[in-house]
Amino acid sequence: MKKNPYQPIETNLIEVISESPVIKTFVLQPKEGFRFNTGQFIELSLNGTGEAPFTPSSDPNISKEIEVTIMNAGRLTAGLHQLKNGETLGIRGPYGKGYPLNEFKGKNILIVGGGVGLAPLRSLIYSLLADTSSFGKIYLCYGAKTPQDIIYKNQIQKWKRAIDIKISVDRADDDWKGNVGVVTTLLNDFKENLSNFISIVCGPPIMMKFTTYKLIDIGFKPSDIYLSMEKNMSCGLGKCGHCRMGRFYVCKDGPVFTFDKIKDMHDLWD
Amino acid sequence: MDKYFIQKKDTAKFLDNLSRDYGVYVPYRIKGKEIPCDLNLKLPTDDYLLESWDRIKKEDFTFNEYRAIEPLRTFFAFPKERLRLDEEEKKAAIFGVKNCDLFSLKIQDFVFLDGEARDPFYERRRQNALLISGDCPSFKETCFCRSLDINPYPSEGFDINFSPLDENFLVDTGSQRGEEIIKSSGLFNHATPAQISRRDEKRNSVVKRLTEHLAFHQIPPKDVLQEIVRDGYESDVWREEASSCVECGGCNLSCDTCHCFLLSEDRLKDTNEKIRAWDACLYANFARVAGGANPLKRRYQRLRNRYLKKFDFFPDNIKLNACCGCGRCIDVCPGKIDIRRILRRLNEEKSVSAH
Ligand SMILES: Cc1cc2nc3c(=O)[nH]c(=O)nc-3n(C[C@H](O)[C@H](O)[C@H](O)COP(=O)(O)OP(=O)(O)OC[C@H]3O[C@@H](n4cnc5c(N)ncnc54)[C@H](O)[C@@H]3O)c2cc1C
Ligand code: SF4
Ligand code: SF4
Ligand code: FES
Repeated sequence: MKKNPYQPIETNLIEVISESPVIKTFVLQPKEGFRFNTGQFIELSLNGTGEAPFTPSSDPNISKEIEVTIMNAGRLTAGLHQLKNGETLGIRGPYGKGYPLNEFKGKNILIVGGGVGLAPLRSLIYSLLADTSSFGKIYLCYGAKTPQDIIYKNQIQKWKRAIDIKISVDRADDDWKGNVGVVTTLLNDFKENLSNFISIVCGPPIMMKFTTYKLIDIGFKPSDIYLSMEKNMSCGLGKCGHCRMGRFYVCKDGPVFTFDKIKDMHDLWD
Repeated sequence: MDKYFIQKKDTAKFLDNLSRDYGVYVPYRIKGKEIPCDLNLKLPTDDYLLESWDRIKKEDFTFNEYRAIEPLRTFFAFPKERLRLDEEEKKAAIFGVKNCDLFSLKIQDFVFLDGEARDPFYERRRQNALLISGDCPSFKETCFCRSLDINPYPSEGFDINFSPLDENFLVDTGSQRGEEIIKSSGLFNHATPAQISRRDEKRNSVVKRLTEHLAFHQIPPKDVLQEIVRDGYESDVWREEASSCVECGGCNLSCDTCHCFLLSEDRLKDTNEKIRAWDACLYANFARVAGGANPLKRRYQRLRNRYLKKFDFFPDNIKLNACCGCGRCIDVCPGKIDIRRILRRLNEEKSVSAH
């Protein structure tokens, strides 16, 4: 019998990790083999509640377990946030093209993340760190609303050995000693030679917009800026029509696009 | 493929024979609402539904003068269905398909059969279905296929085609399967050259009448549609036209070339099977994302989006406009929003700004 591409695979939820007051990481164990490339996304469903696209945040080289980091943003995600270990979820995919690691080889890489946008970037960072000799220097600029909202605090500490990391918060608290301001302010004194650099950006639309303009400002070429676009999605397969952006379907042709491919589109950041 | 002839009285027998192997659907005439014709061409106003042959009285069998109310895609991706592959389905034989519908299948096939993920539900039904198309001996006021260079008679994409000839039919076969069905039925004779030339005359006369009718509407030619919807992005036409839209979604749901759908969960049964239902891009939440952001928040944006999808996205991807000129969206719209008028207005604005 033919395969039903809409049918999710049953997946055990084996651990829930609290990352911030509104963000949790779900450790999933699919009952059938499931592999993804970094930057590809999945459709995750909760019976009777709904289904939505998420990008795995775990190391794609680990296939037994998949981690997904999810912000509580509405109906389905609120339902997910109430779950405990042992529940069963549904997973379909992986979908989309993900990050073209081959294009990054030999280049210096500036990663800019905002909020829960660090989730797909964590998967990317794992892939880069697994093969550091293939890539140049790696920089990470990360912005969160408040110090409480910073996710992956432990991993970030470990990455510091291999990655130049800067973090900023929109609003500080009494204990915060670091940068304050939107994430683009971290780029003000980014003075590297950009001839062999690419940048990878993921975060809320408004953050992606201002970060992209900032990167252009400091000298990045549009074709060297990789953006993760978010659109409403249902099928993930290029069929349901929901995620159209110009001549593309974000689910099939993206979700990662270089800025030159999309910069002339109307209402790009809406 | 070959040309045959069948008498009207034998057609019922033909359909009866077919229903041994197929679920047969035929046009069923219903009284349509009158749409006044601007040129007084006295156009027919009845409508047709595609009904199961078992459920209509044989004497109600009729040949539809033009496309039915429901779009052909109804038979391949159901308006609402549970997506499970293990259910047996009877093959469909659909009588009364028109050339606009056949054109639309090119769009639907691209969506559901192209790429790595072929849709197995669509694929199975599409492969199994027997398409019995027919010439249009007339047209509705809202038909504008010829504006898109689509003829009111089929020349490809069918298994069997019926051209009305007086009370009887000239029959073309378009596939091996169609050919075999005709041959084995014993109800068809070979068509004579005289019959064929009379059929061709009829076709030409319908095209002539339709062309006259369409001249009135001044619909821009199909090759400029992409340009005018692109250049008209900021046009006031969208706001003005969308002001009477009541967001019923009828234009999408009746459309031969629309294909959007939404997957959802079964709220009662504890299963992870998906339920698929047709969706409409004129609905307010079509493009809404988490946190309430919505790139198509306003009605005019959604109306414009429909045209960009049809006349910009599809030409970019498969060099075809995703509109067959069936006019169903015009018939259905309670806001009297008319695709012919919108395209004409965009074109007029464009030529004004060019001077
Ligand atoms: C490619 C991609 C990757 C993503 N990765 C992540 C991730 O790693 N972590 C994370 O926290 N979030 C991610 N998101 C966002 C996530 O999909 C939304 O937060 C989620 O859809 C919200 O669902 P909800 O029911 O909780 O929200 P609500 O606002 O309650 O949604 C209600 C309804 O709005 C619609 N809707 C809202 N957002 C979307 C959407 N994006 N796609 C389809 N329908 C939508 C649906 O119809 C849904 O039923 C990603 C989005 C995309 C497109
Ligand atoms: S049929 Fe008319 S009123 Fe209904 S959604 Fe379409 S444009 Fe709006
Ligand atoms: S847009 Fe209107 S005329 Fe064109 S295919 Fe759809 S329903 Fe028919
Ligand atoms: S999510 Fe269905 S087409 Fe992209």
